Amino acid sequence: MSRIVLLTGLLFLLAGCASQPAIHPVAVVDLTDLQPLPTPALRETPLRVAVAAVISPKGTVESYAELLQYLGQKTGRPIALVQRRTYMEVNDLIERGEVDLAFVCTSAYIVGSKDFGMELLTAPQVNGESVYRSYLIVPVDSDARNIADLRGKVFAFTDPISLTGRAYPTSLIRQLGATPEEFFSRVFFTYSHDEAIYAVANGLADGAGVDSLIYDYALARDPSLAQKVKVIHQSPPFGIPPVVVSPNLRPQVKAELQTILLEMNTDPAGQAALAAIGVEKFVLIEDAVYDPVRALMGDFFFDQYP
Amino acid sequence: MSAISSRQRRTFLESVRLRAQPLLKKTWEVVSAVSVRVKILGMMLGLVLLLGAGVTWQVRNSLTSAFYAQLENESITTARDLAARAADPILINDLVGLQRLLLETQENNPDVRYAFIVDKDGQVLAHTFGSGFPLALLRHNQAAPGEHHRMVVLETESGLVWDTAVPVFEGRAGTVRIGISDARLRATIHALTLQLILMVVLVSTLGVLVAVFLTFVLTRPINDLVQATRRVAQGDFSPRVPRWADDEIGDLAEAFNAMTAELARADEIRREREQLRRQLLEKVIATQEDERRRIARELHDSTSQNLTSLMVGLKHLETLCDNPRVRLSAEELRGVTARTLEEVHEISARLRPRLLDDLGLAAALERLAHEWQARHKIPLDLLIHIGEERLPVEIETAIYRIVQESLTNVARHAGARSVSVLVERRGGDVIALIEDDGCGFDPAQSPGERRLGLAGMRERAELLGGQLTVESQPGRGTSIHVQIPIRNP
Repeated sequence: MSRIVLLTGLLFLLAGCASQPAIHPVAVVDLTDLQPLPTPALRETPLRVAVAAVISPKGTVESYAELLQYLGQKTGRPIALVQRRTYMEVNDLIERGEVDLAFVCTSAYIVGSKDFGMELLTAPQVNGESVYRSYLIVPVDSDARNIADLRGKVFAFTDPISLTGRAYPTSLIRQLGATPEEFFSRVFFTYSHDEAIYAVANGLADGAGVDSLIYDYALARDPSLAQKVKVIHQSPPFGIPPVVVSPNLRPQVKAELQTILLEMNTDPAGQAALAAIGVEKFVLIEDAVYDPVRALMGDFFFDQYP
Repeated sequence: MSAISSRQRRTFLESVRLRAQPLLKKTWEVVSAVSVRVKILGMMLGLVLLLGAGVTWQVRNSLTSAFYAQLENESITTARDLAARAADPILINDLVGLQRLLLETQENNPDVRYAFIVDKDGQVLAHTFGSGFPLALLRHNQAAPGEHHRMVVLETESGLVWDTAVPVFEGRAGTVRIGISDARLRATIHALTLQLILMVVLVSTLGVLVAVFLTFVLTRPINDLVQATRRVAQGDFSPRVPRWADDEIGDLAEAFNAMTAELARADEIRREREQLRRQLLEKVIATQEDERRRIARELHDSTSQNLTSLMVGLKHLETLCDNPRVRLSAEELRGVTARTLEEVHEISARLRPRLLDDLGLAAALERLAHEWQARHKIPLDLLIHIGEERLPVEIETAIYRIVQESLTNVARHAGARSVSVLVERRGGDVIALIEDDGCGFDPAQSPGERRLGLAGMRERAELLGGQLTVESQPGRGTSIHVQIPIRNP
């Protein structure tokens, strides 16, 4: 009897352990051996460049790669690209001196210059001028001809302090005697202009206000967008989104960066980098150019963002 | 070359055969020694267990393979999904969002042992390990920027982990690493295996019950048959076995019953014949004894008287006649007559000693011994302890005749130097023992006449419910032992 029991045991032991499918682990790792992560080695202080989320983070990386590389070559310093979800987060970084150079939106400059004296460095020039507009876009098959036709629809804002993506469309609604929340059935933020274009193109929103430069650039890169969205309204020209620096940046660095940017169009590598972001060249710009924007935003904006 | 190898092979086969043979023999010994019950139980259990083990093994293997493939797939899919969703949080440095993304992934998929993200410089941005990080992990599985994914299997303290690395945003935002553990899968397989084994045990138990019932059904008639056969072997032809089932064993039972019935009938006939034969034999022996007694009396009373008269007549003739030749003849005739008279006495005594009827066995045997010793000149030692009380006449006759026949045999065949005869009453039996130191013989191979004599002696003993045994070996003498119960004293 004991033999039978033994035999049975053996059989099941065989069934239990025999012939696991052949898996060959490459290494043995003890996952319970937890250690503090090493702090990154101290490296040469990079030049930290922030790009406001005018376009989506991935789009920014792709578009600004050449420009950043150019800057790195010219300054001889490693470049760190810094991105944040909102304009205000980038403004905070500039204020705290955690960013040396920043490509910001016009409205962000208005807020930054007012809050902590954000300084203009240069401004891009596109099509011979340093202005841009807010486009009101709708799906290509939409019946809407102006902002009034979008009553009761879904509207996409870009950033909460975007001039073209929020401030200007809001001013249009105010002229109609309403707030966006009353006027539209629903509003939401996409945090970047290319996402707003895609939101309209894909039918997520019935309308959106976008940066004319971004729109033109996006259409140039993806012509199929023209089959999906159309512009039904253009704003008057506004001062173009500038390149700014922190007020605490050392004057020598500020001068060096300004020179590099201003002379980019004189050198083939610079020209290629400029082309990648759809800019002809960088030019000097006066703060006064932005006064009309200040006036427009002052109507409502500083009530909400003191 | 081939010859050598074939010879080697043959030698090898031979050695295998030699080793296997005792094993086979041993196995057969074990298998054949156990009862039918154990055989059936063993068959049933063996079958169920073999099947159970086979199925368990197969299911377990198939499941494990399928599950492993699934884990591999799951690892890649989850990592790819995570990489797609991690790009934006990485680029905008949303480490909290990144951490939440990893934790949610782990929460939604219990197989995820860990997930972490390293930036393109190899710094860990977020991970699911809580405080601290197993730095050894960083050394393994690094995906190149352009790769779709790279997967390796790592062995950890909690089992195997399918580790997949997927570059985020073509490596420009770093790499996502995810580890899918097989712990849950193993638990599932173990649970399943356990269920299967439980099932097999359950079925085995059921099988044992069925086998026990089956064995009962099968062995009950066989046991009945065995018991009945034993009784038949002891001479009892009465048992009949019931026909339990209408199968081969039922047929056997029927055949057995028919056989015992036939045996019983044959035994009855044999008994009747035996009875008849005994009666006949008794009658023959009684008649023979009566006849002998009558002849002996006749010889003693009539013939002896006549011979005595003849002798008296011859004596008278001697005195009357003066002729010396006649007187001489008469004297001679008287001598012849005297010898004849003596012989007649002797014949009469041998036929039926009057002593046996008149004074009993002891006196008759003493006379027999005396005469035998006188005639054959062989010392005879006679011991009789049967008391004063006379034995039944048929027993006295039987003992007397057996001793007489034995002594005749000793004189005729044994060439013995001495003989001893013992007759005694022991309990309710009479015992007679006749021993000689003669040449002996092989009782099984004795010649016909002698065997017939022995058979006659045995017959006499058995007729009276006694028994006679002969012990003899060539060169070792002979001893005859008779035992007859005294039924009616």
